[in-house]
Amino acid sequence: MKIIGNKITTNMSLFAFLGFLIIVFSFTSEHFLGYYNIISLLTNISYSGIAAIVLTLVMISRGLDISIGGVIGLTTVVVATLYSQPDPFPVWLILIIGLSTGTLVGLLNGWCIAVMDMDPIITTLGAMAITRGLAYVISDAQSILMFEETTDFISNGTIFYIPMPIILFLITALIFSIILHKSKFGRTIYAIGANEASAKLSGISVKPVKIILYVLSGLAASVSGIILIGQTSVGMPQHGLGTELEVITAVLLGGTALSGGKGTIYGTIAGVLILGVLFNGLTISGVRYVHLQIFQGILLLVAVATYEIKTRNEVAS
Amino acid sequence: MTSTLLKMSHICKSYPGVNAVDDVSIDLYAGEVLGLMGENGAGKSTLIKMLAGAEKIDSGEIYIDEKKVDINSPKASQDNGVSVIHQELITMDTLSVAENIFVGQLPVKKATKLIDWKAARKKSAEALALLHSEINPKSIVSSLSIYEKQIVEVAKAIHKNAKVVVMDEPTAALSEKDSKALFTVIKSLKKQGVGIIYISHRIEEVFQISDRITVMRDGKFIGTKPTKGTDQKEIISMMIGRELNQFFPEIKSEKKGVMMKVSDLNINGIIENISFEVKKGEILGLFGLVGSGCLNIARALIGADDIDQGEFHINGKKTSIKNPKNALKNKIGFIPIDRKNEGLTLDFSVKQNLTLQCIDQLGSGFIIQKSIENSIAEKWVKKLDIKTPNIEVKVKNLSGGNQQKIVLGKTLETNPEILVIVEPTRGIDVGTKMDIYKMLENLCKNGVAIVLVSTDVPEILSISNRVLVISNGKIRKEFKKGEANQQELLHEASLN
Repeated sequence: MKIIGNKITTNMSLFAFLGFLIIVFSFTSEHFLGYYNIISLLTNISYSGIAAIVLTLVMISRGLDISIGGVIGLTTVVVATLYSQPDPFPVWLILIIGLSTGTLVGLLNGWCIAVMDMDPIITTLGAMAITRGLAYVISDAQSILMFEETTDFISNGTIFYIPMPIILFLITALIFSIILHKSKFGRTIYAIGANEASAKLSGISVKPVKIILYVLSGLAASVSGIILIGQTSVGMPQHGLGTELEVITAVLLGGTALSGGKGTIYGTIAGVLILGVLFNGLTISGVRYVHLQIFQGILLLVAVATYEIKTRNEVAS
Repeated sequence: MTSTLLKMSHICKSYPGVNAVDDVSIDLYAGEVLGLMGENGAGKSTLIKMLAGAEKIDSGEIYIDEKKVDINSPKASQDNGVSVIHQELITMDTLSVAENIFVGQLPVKKATKLIDWKAARKKSAEALALLHSEINPKSIVSSLSIYEKQIVEVAKAIHKNAKVVVMDEPTAALSEKDSKALFTVIKSLKKQGVGIIYISHRIEEVFQISDRITVMRDGKFIGTKPTKGTDQKEIISMMIGRELNQFFPEIKSEKKGVMMKVSDLNINGIIENISFEVKKGEILGLFGLVGSGCLNIARALIGADDIDQGEFHINGKKTSIKNPKNALKNKIGFIPIDRKNEGLTLDFSVKQNLTLQCIDQLGSGFIIQKSIENSIAEKWVKKLDIKTPNIEVKVKNLSGGNQQKIVLGKTLETNPEILVIVEPTRGIDVGTKMDIYKMLENLCKNGVAIVLVSTDVPEILSISNRVLVISNGKIRKEFKKGEANQQELLHEASLN
């Protein structure tokens, strides 16, 4: 019972904080609780939310992926460049190539980390620089316009009045919460993150699991990239700049432990919502973007500090 | 006559479910070596941790130079002149010898307040000279041998004017020559009036170097004898304190054909040409002191460590064991030495731990079927009498004995035909030990072949059908059941 109790209180306090933010912003701005603002808020968080959901799995396995932003940028550039060729491939093929971009980066990350035993932070930091750099090289540091029906539908279309990005986010959340919380594969992710030595001795193949997780993380970043193209009608190397920080903050806020083995999809959804509400609320209350970054940094530190304090209390008791 | 340097009086320390140290008193005189002996789990390490300030004392007092001191942190311990040289050396390998000796207290130049390297090196050389050592203070510690690192630790103690030096298994990883050199160092420390507590399993060594011997058992003080007035037999019986058979079930089982054959197993520099067979229904014991290579053999059998050479035949068929997953496929189960870090996932529930090795069997598809998971967990909780409020409790909240039963259950769920077990009863209570022995007996009756690695002398002698004594990575001797007594076993194991 105690375990369930803890889980509830962790998520409860997150949602309580979310409620608190919503109440505060409903006073500071009359538009905050308006229909259009809520839809726009949810649409805006969806693209980074998808990456955050998948990163949750990576972080539970005691990994990290900071190449997310770079992969987003590279994907938008690859897709837009291919589309702007005089005689372009069909759109479905272009999108598959776009998704393969992140998948390939993820595969390389996973190989370095799982097989070569390289540090996840450094490996994906390198991948971040490489992908961002490639995006600049391919695009010649230019923005590439892309008006196209399919990407437009993915980003701006609706089904039953619900914008597509929100639907994609919800589907991703559903799929990955089943994988993480109900499947055999999900159990091995927790086992690896909680105690890799014991997982190995229990006959779990640690390396393939890790590789799959980084591949999924890269793929998710590419999906985010494709959504971003539709939203902005442009592929550019600066797309996704700083998204990794946003995504990592959301996952940590959601209660996933940097030390692995702990975390939930529900928590990450709460983290994504808190970050989205905070940004949206502050923006429409007149706070400038440059100041938002400070809030984000503070939130990241608060999330980690809360975790450390909680762990210390657990050890003490 | 020399004065009492250190007195630990009526020290108690308990952890949940265990009285690790129970009303233990020892004293140490200036210029003497006190051998501290006891089996694994006797409470020696806990006692020393309290002296070192790494663990808090529940009750009892410590006196240094007949003055009561309050040791509540490693710093307080050092300030009171205590220096502990741990078995796992804690030198700072990337720094120089001088930096290690002066850790945190490097001399500074008066005028500039910058580090005075010349003085640091000179003083380091002086401390090393007292130990007849010619290690260059400029050397980086990682380039030194284990013996030289130990000398650096001793020099550090001298530099801090340590009055009490504790050495925990200092010779475990040393060659005979280095051990002799270390004894010379200990003798020169004695001459300087330092009191030394010397912990070792190597009984001959303790007799060679110590003035008195204190024996602990099951957390209790058993007695202190002047080394000259006792013999190895007396000390061993004090350490063990129980007769064989008194407590171990007679494991009777029919031994059938050869289950597993290991030939020419080699790991460079660690184990050499290890060959043996284990039959169905047999318990084969592997006995060796710390660092003998027993543990490496066990890990090689389940593919946890890479081997350089060697062949395995299971049921007469040549088999390669590449990793633990592979071992499981070949029906080899494993109970590792370190229950908390290798055997269990502490943050997982009882249920999740019990089903970790058989995740694939938890339902036919992708999803874990809760009913299967629950029934497997309930089955083992009942079968092994695991005391837990329910199967959702995290295993870190259970006692050591119940944790060990979970490790056992988790492995048995895979129906192993060969079971490799390391220290299955370390640090657990007598009742649980009995349960585990009974379980092993049942397994033997069902034709499981068991390879048991244990440093618990009565245990290994009583429950194994055969014991291989390992020392320095080689098989030194084979004893059939009843052929060897405890002294002989320890004697063989301590030969190089």
